[in-house]
Amino acid sequence: MKRNLRDIAIENSDQIVQEWLKQIGSLKEVNYTADISEELFDSNNREFVGVIFNSIKENGSTKIIEEFSGKIIHLGWPLSYITDGLQVFRSVTINTILSKLEKVDAEYISEVLNSVDSWVEPIIRQLVNEYSVSWEHVVSLQRIALQELSAPLIPVMDNITIMPLVGTIDTERAKFIMENLLEGVMRHNSEVVLIDITGVPVVDTMVAHHLFQATEAVRLLGAKCILVGIRPEIAQTIVNLGIDFSKLPTKSSLKKGFLLALEITNKSIVELDKKLESVEELLGTSKGSEGSYENTNIETT
Amino acid sequence: MNSQCFVTSIHKEWDIVAARQMGRELAKKIGFGTVDQARITTAISELARNIYLYASKGQIKFEVIESLEQKGIKVVAEDSGPGIEDLSQVMEDGFSTSGGLGAGLPGVRRLMDEFDIISEIGKGTIINTIKWVR
Amino acid sequence: MRIPILKLHNYLLISIQTELDDQTAIQFQEDLLKEIHKTEALGVVIDLTSVEVIDSFIAKVLGDVVAMSDLMGAKVVLTGIQPAVAMTLIELGIHLKNVSTALDLEQGLFKLHQELGE
Repeated sequence: MKRNLRDIAIENSDQIVQEWLKQIGSLKEVNYTADISEELFDSNNREFVGVIFNSIKENGSTKIIEEFSGKIIHLGWPLSYITDGLQVFRSVTINTILSKLEKVDAEYISEVLNSVDSWVEPIIRQLVNEYSVSWEHVVSLQRIALQELSAPLIPVMDNITIMPLVGTIDTERAKFIMENLLEGVMRHNSEVVLIDITGVPVVDTMVAHHLFQATEAVRLLGAKCILVGIRPEIAQTIVNLGIDFSKLPTKSSLKKGFLLALEITNKSIVELDKKLESVEELLGTSKGSEGSYENTNIETT
Repeated sequence: MNSQCFVTSIHKEWDIVAARQMGRELAKKIGFGTVDQARITTAISELARNIYLYASKGQIKFEVIESLEQKGIKVVAEDSGPGIEDLSQVMEDGFSTSGGLGAGLPGVRRLMDEFDIISEIGKGTIINTIKWVR
Repeated sequence: MRIPILKLHNYLLISIQTELDDQTAIQFQEDLLKEIHKTEALGVVIDLTSVEVIDSFIAKVLGDVVAMSDLMGAKVVLTGIQPAVAMTLIELGIHLKNVSTALDLEQGLFKLHQELGE
């Protein structure tokens, strides 16, 4: 019995397709495909309905569906396009088949409904599955990318390292930051680590607590932490929350923090006067004839 | 149900180290990173020491557990000691009756992902903890 | 099992290579204090690079050894604490506040040198 229905559907595929295209077209305004150009929409529709019929003919073969779904996901078509399309297909096909039949009793109608459902269901299931797998994949890739951005450690000088923190810090990220920080301290043999929180928008108790834990762990390792980039609002928050940062040196800017780090590692920045002298010399000897530089004994003309 | 279960009894001081080593081996096998291995091993040490100090006899059970998405380790510390009178006190940070650093149970709870404790005076104590591979 | 203590000029150097059980830790505490007394050492470096686990008890023993040595006139520096160990200690709530630390043996000696004002 079912085979008959299938044949009916296939025989009348042209009519079904026409009706389907018409209805899908009318839905275009309503769903997310409104921005897509007419030609693209049309060609995709034809391909879509072709895929559906193909699946019915092949009794639910998945290869063509996979290819099609891969293509539209990649192009960024919304899932609603698929679900709408299949819903419309169901109703159009059911109506078409029913119109072609002589006897239309309740039992037959229910058979028609069931048959059409059995064709459409595997397609929906697979397409939805493909979509959700691709979403999950993207999300997990993004997570990894975010994590990599999460806690970079920059060795600036022999024993001084900087960790610029950007973005919100939740417990998960805090753990990652701490691990990275400690491993970095060991790897770079840092004596001083400057943690810059200029880019951290919110510092509440949780974040302050995590920062504190991280700095304490660094201290256990044997290095010193300096917290920099503390904005006025953050300073207020920390004091108001009663968090004790007294053992931790803090500076308002990276520059000041860096100078402190130099002090701690017994280094300092020195201006090189010699450089100036040599530039003057340079000017003096190259323009020899015009120069009135005392130390040269070039005769002027 | 597929679960591997290991048990070690705590009776002598050296058993604390044995429990640690067994726990660490299992954690490594399950695939925990170095830091989590340290957390689990330390938690086991704390639990084993508590048994040794307060119940003088008990056991630590290790189990590999699996849920839909993750793998993990379950550590159960069981003893038939005197039991804990005031659970809330014992779960307070800094509390210690043995003059230790008082890191005890709140510390264990922080190191592990899941933690629960059942204790009855005169009967004993059971502590269940779980850590999942991240 | 006893942990070997080496003497280098005015310093005592210890590298803990094994898993510390309670008995060994306490024995170590005794041995170190005796050695400080005998050699009149001014500085002690305890290297913990090979230590994979420090629980609250061992942490207490180490903290105590620092305080006791100080009473006997020797400054102590702990070196080489591993990241995993450091994180676990902090999460346990153990901060070892009055303990000097350094990344490795070399920096430890340097720190002692500074602290002793030589």
